[in-house]
Amino acid sequence: MKRALIALFGGAIVLAGCGGNTAATNPSTGNANLPTPPGASLTGAGATFPQPFYAAAFFAYNKKFSQVTVNYQAVGSGAGIQQLTKKTVDFGASDVPLKSSEADAMGGSDKVVQLAGTLGTESLAYNLQGVGGGQLKLTPDTIAGIFLGMIKKWNDPALKADNSGISLPDQDIHVVHRSDGSGTTYIFSDYLSSVSSEWASKVGRGKSVSWPVGQGASGNAAVATTIKQTPGAIGYVELAYVLQTNMTQATLKNKDGNFVLPSAAGATAAAKQFAGASPSQFSIVNAPGRDSAPISGYSWLMLYKDQANKARGTAMVDLFYWLVTDGQQYATNLHYAALPGNMVSYDLAVLKSVTSGGTTLLSVSS
Amino acid sequence: MAPKLVATSRQRPLISGDRLFRAIAYGAAALILLIAAVFIVALLIPALPAITKFGLGFFVSRTWDPVRVQFGALPAIYGTLVTSAIALLIAFPVGMGAALFLAEDARLRLLRGPLSFAIELLAGIPSVVIGLWAFFILTPLMRDNVDPFLKHTLGFLPFFQGSASGYGFLTAGVVLAIMVLPIMVALSRDVIRAVPLALREASLALGATNAETIWSVVLPYARVGITGAVLLSLGRALGETIAVTMVIGNRPEISASLFSTGYTLPSVIANEFTEAVGNVYLGALFYLGLVLVVITIVVNVLARLLVWRFTGSEPTAA
Repeated sequence: MKRALIALFGGAIVLAGCGGNTAATNPSTGNANLPTPPGASLTGAGATFPQPFYAAAFFAYNKKFSQVTVNYQAVGSGAGIQQLTKKTVDFGASDVPLKSSEADAMGGSDKVVQLAGTLGTESLAYNLQGVGGGQLKLTPDTIAGIFLGMIKKWNDPALKADNSGISLPDQDIHVVHRSDGSGTTYIFSDYLSSVSSEWASKVGRGKSVSWPVGQGASGNAAVATTIKQTPGAIGYVELAYVLQTNMTQATLKNKDGNFVLPSAAGATAAAKQFAGASPSQFSIVNAPGRDSAPISGYSWLMLYKDQANKARGTAMVDLFYWLVTDGQQYATNLHYAALPGNMVSYDLAVLKSVTSGGTTLLSVSS
Repeated sequence: MAPKLVATSRQRPLISGDRLFRAIAYGAAALILLIAAVFIVALLIPALPAITKFGLGFFVSRTWDPVRVQFGALPAIYGTLVTSAIALLIAFPVGMGAALFLAEDARLRLLRGPLSFAIELLAGIPSVVIGLWAFFILTPLMRDNVDPFLKHTLGFLPFFQGSASGYGFLTAGVVLAIMVLPIMVALSRDVIRAVPLALREASLALGATNAETIWSVVLPYARVGITGAVLLSLGRALGETIAVTMVIGNRPEISASLFSTGYTLPSVIANEFTEAVGNVYLGALFYLGLVLVVITIVVNVLARLLVWRFTGSEPTAA
């Protein structure tokens, strides 16, 4: 009876979740075979970017299965990886997959598995008197020019050429970037490296980089607030923060030449373009495709392939099975993008490879 | 009678309770030294990869490039010293005025209590709250009012040139000034009060006015102690992290202009440790921490020595 109720209830959620977005569903992941996990109290640590989504999703999972509680600490990817290396947490989370040296510290790349937990995109938010949201158009060249410090004024000819409809003021451009190391910075610098060879050679990609111009603020929220209260400011901010705080964001020219306003759907469209995406081929910036949001990226979860404790391991793979399928509905509400079908399939294959004492832990047939 | 009593109590052999107490007290004292030593070593070991890679060049390099794993501490050291210097330049005159008022002026006794209370209140505000206030209220105020005024009146100096965003050395210095003011006032007040009454009376008896007495007798006598108060304030300013991080702009830059954004040693560490991957990167942050600890220890020891020398020595001996 109880199971039937859960199945019914869950089925309703799946339908509701799929109404607007078909990307997350995989025909083989019907809610009826959602496994009932053993009781466990799991802890994870890592990236701050997916934290609002994980918090909402894990809370919902606990309501569904009260025997499983998940404590996720958004201490930063680096700290999360270190804690997983020391085995003080059950899983880690990072916006950038493990480097080989980091995997080696965990016993080698065959000892740890990684799956995409969610997908996000970034906006360029600005503060310009008289220029409303979506009115400013930016191209890969002007974005690179601004962040390299070559375009210094808002009425620069290069900017004017793309924005004939609006009047750009004779005002200094005030670049704001993250001062703390972050996956957000990695994705943005990855984007700049892929569209500008000068950026790639001068600055490069990383969670912290040596910025040619601008000032730093710690965290998405501080960057957002600094932009909001500094006339002439521009900076890269997670889409969720832009939408939640009603910031004005630019329309971005993607690889196909279309101007798109960054959105969760745009991130999913971009991710679909990379059918072979995996932890070793994780970059999805500057994606082709008509609707692709150009500055997008996955956020990864990592756990040990061989789980010492069978019950905990089972609870964890069951949790992640739900997270990458039904749990994705909580992403769109919070302006994260739903994982595309190819990545859901990849994730499920990864979860099936997790074992304890040689036994596969995931008990779903597909 | 009395000397005899003292003598017997001194000669009485230690009973076991006394021995135990002595052992505990010595142990506790030794533990503090041990903790300090372990702390330094614990900083030194993770810093070693950066120390061996960059050596003393770390102190003169301006590069801070996590992508290419090249690190130098100069911009952060510069930012730490400049913001602390601005803080002292602002807090010293204000603090001395307040301290003199509290210690010397007998006419406005009614105001003393509230003022002392306000200063202690200021000392109790958590730095993150001051940082929030600075971030939301002080930075726009500096950008729209203070910076343009300074540019207009003192713009011929290199310190007040360039575009002002409201973030940077000057704003961070003002925030630090507010934070060190309570220490400066409280310590200076105590030092000034410790000046012997006989000296003041002698000066007044010779016909000096109150102001002359303060200027030529009280302040010279209290000079060493006041220097100590300033150094203790400096120690506080050097290590302040969160409030400075919120307004300094977090950019490893060396610029003469106080409107320019910069970085301080504690801010770099606080910003970057969560995502610092690799031994050298993390080591560079520990190296910065070591530099900061050494600077702070030297300043604090110097300050305490000066304060003790003043308030601890018996003034009548002179």
